[in-house]
Amino acid sequence: MIVTPRYLARGSWLARRDPRVPLIVGVCAAATVIQVWDARIVLGLLAVALLYYRTAAIPWRAVRRQWFFALAFVSLLVLINTFLTGGEIGGLDPRTFRPLFRIPILGTMIYAETVSYGATQLLRFVTFVAVGFPIAYAIAPADLGVALARLGLPDRFAVGIDLTFRFLPSLAADFQETIDAQRIRGYEWERGGRNPVARLRQATPLIVPLTMRAIVGAEDTIDAMDLRAFGTGRRTWLRELRFDPIDRLVVGLAVGILVVVTVVGFAGYARLWVFPFLLGPTG
Amino acid sequence: MATMQMQRPGLWEVSSRVIVYAAIGAALYGVLGLFSFVLPGTQNVSVRPAFAIVTFFGYSFGPVVGLFTGLVGNAVIDQLTGYGLLTAWNWSIANGLAGLIAGVLGAGALATAGGSKIVGSAVVAAVAVVVGFLFVITDIWVFGNSLETAVTASYVPVVIADVIAGVILTPILVAAWEPLRESLGR
Repeated sequence: MIVTPRYLARGSWLARRDPRVPLIVGVCAAATVIQVWDARIVLGLLAVALLYYRTAAIPWRAVRRQWFFALAFVSLLVLINTFLTGGEIGGLDPRTFRPLFRIPILGTMIYAETVSYGATQLLRFVTFVAVGFPIAYAIAPADLGVALARLGLPDRFAVGIDLTFRFLPSLAADFQETIDAQRIRGYEWERGGRNPVARLRQATPLIVPLTMRAIVGAEDTIDAMDLRAFGTGRRTWLRELRFDPIDRLVVGLAVGILVVVTVVGFAGYARLWVFPFLLGPTG
Repeated sequence: MATMQMQRPGLWEVSSRVIVYAAIGAALYGVLGLFSFVLPGTQNVSVRPAFAIVTFFGYSFGPVVGLFTGLVGNAVIDQLTGYGLLTAWNWSIANGLAGLIAGVLGAGALATAGGSKIVGSAVVAAVAVVVGFLFVITDIWVFGNSLETAVTASYVPVVIADVIAGVILTPILVAAWEPLRESLGR
C-alpha cells in the first residue's frame, strides 16, 4: 500500500515556484471568492483560477475522478439548498423574489434569484477547487513543513507537519502488514455485513494493533529529538526558501485581486446578480 | 544535598513527546481515514472508523495532540485524496476542535464518568463530536449554504457518523492503551 501525496505537477511551471506560493494563492482565493455573489465577477475569477490551474500541468487522467466527485458533491449540496429548502438566501428579502415555477411533488417554489444563487454557488466552488488542487499536487511533500514554518507557523507545529508526512509511508506499510497478519488468522473486513456497530467492531483488529505499535514505536523518535536538544533554541531548516521575481508577481496578483474584490464588495457591487434570461418568463 | 524535581507536563505544554504523538495521530488518521462505509439506510452518512483516533489521542495525550491530530489529520486526508489541504479548511478545524475538546474533557472529571475510563472516554468522545462539529455550520459563509442545509446536510450526518465511531472505538483504544501506558511508565 502506497500512501503518500501524489506530486503530479513535478517539473511544471507552478511546481518550480516557491512552495509558499500555492499556499498563499489558496488562502487569497478562499478570502476572495467567499465575498462575491455576482456571477460575472465569479466567472472572471474562475477564468484566472483555471489559467493558474493549467500552470500546474496536472494530468487530467490522474485527477478526473477527484473532479467528478467534487462536482457531484457540490451539485448535490446546491440542489438540496435550492430545491429542498426553497433556496433561502441570506440578506435578501424573499418577498422580492421573482417566481419561475413550482416543483410538482415537493411544492417548493423556484425563483429566478434561487436559480442564479445556486449556479453562482457552483461556479464559486469550482473556482475554489481549481486553486485547491495545485496545493495537493504542486508542492513537494518534503517542502510542506518548511513552507508553513516560513509562513509564520510556529516551528514546533511545522516540524509536527513534516513528521506527519514522513510517518505516512511507514504507517501505511505497517497497516498492510497488520491486514496480512490478521487475514492469516481468518480475518475478513466484510464479515460485519450491513450492521454499522458490527462493522466498526470488525475494524478493531486492524486499528488497535496499528495504533499501539505506532505509539510504542514513537519512543525512538522522541528520544532522538530529545538527544538532539529539540526545542531548546531557534530551529533552522536545511531547505532554504527564497521568492524570485515571478513568485512575487504571482503572490502580488493574488493579493491584488483580493484587495480589488474586497473594495468592490464594500462598494456593494458583488451582490447576487440574477441572470437576465431568467427574468423573461416572469416579466 | 542535590535534589531533582519530577513535574508532570502541563496540559498545554508542547514538548517533543507532544509533537511526536500529534504527528503519529495525524498520520494514523490520514492512513486509516481513507477507509469508510456508508451507514445503511442513508445516502450521505459515511462512517469513518478512523475518526476514533482523533478522540482517543485527545483523551489520552491532551488537547494539543487532539487538536493537531484532527486538524492536520483531516487536512492530510484531503491532501492524499487530491483535494488540497485548504479546500475544506473549516472541516479540518471542526475535526481539530473535536480533538481539542476531547483533550480538555479527558483531563477533567468527565474522563472517569460512570466510575471508569471506558465509560468516561465514550462520553467524552460523544460530547467532543457534538460540540466540536458545530464549526461546520460555517459552511453558510464558506460554501454559501443556508442554515437549514448546513444543519441537515453537513452537521447532523457528520455527528451521527462520528458519534457512532467515537463511542464504540475510543473506549476500545483506551482499554488497549491503559495497560500498555503503565508498562511503559507514562
